[in-house]
Amino acid sequence: MKKFLSLFLVTAMLLSLCSFAAMADEAPIKISIYYSDNSTLPFRADWRVISYLQEKYNVDLQFEPIPMTDYSTKVTNVLTTQGDDTPDVILGTSTSGGNASLALNGAAYAVSANPDWTPNFNARVAEFGLEDEVNTRKLGDGNLYYLPALYDIPFYDGGLILREDYLAAKGSEAPKTFDDLYAILKAYKEDYPESYPLTTIVRLSVLQRMTMPSWGVSVGVNGATGTRVLSWDYDTKTYFAGAISEQYKEYVTFFNKLYAEGLLDPEFAQDDASTTRKLATGLAMATYGYYDQIGGWEQASEIEGIKLNMYPSLEGPGGAHHQPKSSTGSGILFPAKTMQRPDFEQVVRKIDEIFFSEEAAKVWCIGIEGETYTMDGDKIVFSDEILAAPEGIYKYMQNAYGCGCDGTQLVWYNAREMTKYDENYAEINAAVAAMGDVIQYVPATPAFDDEVAEEVALLQTTLFDAFNVWDDGFLRGTKSIENDWDQFVQEMKDLGIEKFLALHNEYNIYK
Amino acid sequence: MSTLEKANNKRRIKEHNPILNFFTALVMIIVVVCCTVPFLYIIAMSFSSSVAITNNRVFLWPVDFNIEAYRSVYEYPNFFRAYGYTLLYTFGGTLISLIMMVLFAYPLSKEWLKGQKFAMRIVVFSMFFSGGMIPNFLLINSLHLVGTIWAILIPFAINQFNLIILINFFKSLPVEIEEAAVIDGLSYFGILVRIVLPMSGAAIATVGLYTAVFFWNNWFNALIYLKSSQYPVMMLLRNIVNGRTMVVDNGGIGEKSSLAIAIKSAVIIISSLPIIMLYPFLQKYFVKGMTVGAVKG
Repeated sequence: MKKFLSLFLVTAMLLSLCSFAAMADEAPIKISIYYSDNSTLPFRADWRVISYLQEKYNVDLQFEPIPMTDYSTKVTNVLTTQGDDTPDVILGTSTSGGNASLALNGAAYAVSANPDWTPNFNARVAEFGLEDEVNTRKLGDGNLYYLPALYDIPFYDGGLILREDYLAAKGSEAPKTFDDLYAILKAYKEDYPESYPLTTIVRLSVLQRMTMPSWGVSVGVNGATGTRVLSWDYDTKTYFAGAISEQYKEYVTFFNKLYAEGLLDPEFAQDDASTTRKLATGLAMATYGYYDQIGGWEQASEIEGIKLNMYPSLEGPGGAHHQPKSSTGSGILFPAKTMQRPDFEQVVRKIDEIFFSEEAAKVWCIGIEGETYTMDGDKIVFSDEILAAPEGIYKYMQNAYGCGCDGTQLVWYNAREMTKYDENYAEINAAVAAMGDVIQYVPATPAFDDEVAEEVALLQTTLFDAFNVWDDGFLRGTKSIENDWDQFVQEMKDLGIEKFLALHNEYNIYK
Repeated sequence: MSTLEKANNKRRIKEHNPILNFFTALVMIIVVVCCTVPFLYIIAMSFSSSVAITNNRVFLWPVDFNIEAYRSVYEYPNFFRAYGYTLLYTFGGTLISLIMMVLFAYPLSKEWLKGQKFAMRIVVFSMFFSGGMIPNFLLINSLHLVGTIWAILIPFAINQFNLIILINFFKSLPVEIEEAAVIDGLSYFGILVRIVLPMSGAAIATVGLYTAVFFWNNWFNALIYLKSSQYPVMMLLRNIVNGRTMVVDNGGIGEKSSLAIAIKSAVIIISSLPIIMLYPFLQKYFVKGMTVGAVKG
């Protein structure tokens, strides 16, 4: 018995040694990945979070950074051709637009086909309560073809930005309503007659998408529904013809007043340099932009004591709302060619783990415990090197470690993110969160079949072309809102806005 | 007075007309100013501080001189590798292109050659009707060139427009010289290398310049056919200039901080200066070569 026991123990020891040796020798799984490269945060293969996660999950991630400007072209190309250069995984993409028909025609793997391969993604969806929203990302055949990025609470990262120092000098309160904003702009115009106090970034549609929801409507090139001329009724969960609604009429009347009184910059499309010049030299004092941009504008200015700040959404006739945002974003898609890999299941499981597990999500956000931060109870304490960075925690961690890059971080906890920003930003976000439903959801695209989708696309093109002309005319006053409104409505009806609306409501997945 | 004398007199009057000369010089000066001032302005901005640029203090001379913008561009990941690839594609591509085009154009310049007309028709047809992006990609992919530098160097080596320029130039060479060479015992290849090419400096320089500019500026083919580690510098520069506008316009959650205008100016200089510097060296050929192949006979 003793002999048998010793033999058994020796055998067990040898076996375990062998398996340990085998594990130690197991080669990392190679996974090639397309990554959308943002020029202001260029990808670096030596980012610490990447090397850490590679070691931790025993993978060799071969990133292919593709310039963001041409990313969608490249993705469409590889999905169409499935050629030699097709990567195993595509980050930062979705099945909207042309990718939908490619996916439906077999160009991508349906991730919903094997939910047990993505346990971490499923867990995060359940944790954030996003089951319904994720379901709306499914295509006409009922399958989900990509793993979207997940947000517990949408960010208020952009909004009204104006000269806080001017408000302080005039003894004015921070604006709460659009009437307050009008009064501030008017006062500035009186003080600086050569100025156009409210300017735009990139093009007017950025300002429009951030302001329209306060009138209960969202149309135009960046309208929330993506239809460009329809809006979403959040009470009835149906579409309505936003472009010819009274809400839009009121909206355009307000901004026409700003334009007519020289309060709105007539340059509706401009590059960064132009906006920066106007804000930095005092030719403008407000815009609708992003918090990230404030530092650059202030640094470019020679005005003593200039201080720009971002403010929560202003209240309009439809309440205080910002541009609607989705709690899901671009994510991970597996081209069909990847399914030919013998270890395909393992690839999917690894990707799920690397991007959606609780631990990896934390690494993508705040780095590695003991290196970039330590925990003091529940509190995250960043390392001295990070705290001392002149560009701020968030920016430094992006550049130095690769944390917080929207291409690779796919799980976003608002509270955790706020630990990386300055107090002011966190306070603004907290104020917005306290206001209630400032940031509403983006309704899912109706599940059109191919034939209807084509008809809808044709109608949309003609309707939007006409709307664009009228919108510009109403804003600039070349068309009279009072006298020409009926003609505009009739033209939109003649072009089929009612049919366009009916089709959207017929295929509305919320009904 | 003969017609020739009349014409010569008219020319002399024109040459010695001070008013006409003055206006000619004035127009030329305006053209030169229009071309150089924007370029000098961009150079000045690339060496100036952002604050000075934003506050309209820069015109033709840098203010708060610094090289930060260039440093930022050069520190862009893989910038030098990409620049190296651009040089490889430009020089390698031009060399391959010239060799292939000359070898193709010379026989096509011989109208007596059997099948010459048919081959010419194929060339002209493919100039107007191409397969399109996806069929081209499938072809290049099936040749296993995708992801290799040959995907850029080989499939785009022959440009029909440049080929026709060469064909017409070769046609314009006196056939008697080639006949004499044949009598002296030279083969057709020998005639091409020893007789025709030395006489075709202007055509080769012109077509070479067009081709070099094509390879220098070409980013789209690189995007479609190459791996990111093989991208030319134009891909990076294009992303630097356009990428941020796209992020802000789309309203994604990505980084949206502003890119200094000085950096954009530096990008413009870095991307255009090397190829512009080629022109003075090729000008003597280029001026002549503008009309190369225009007249036959």
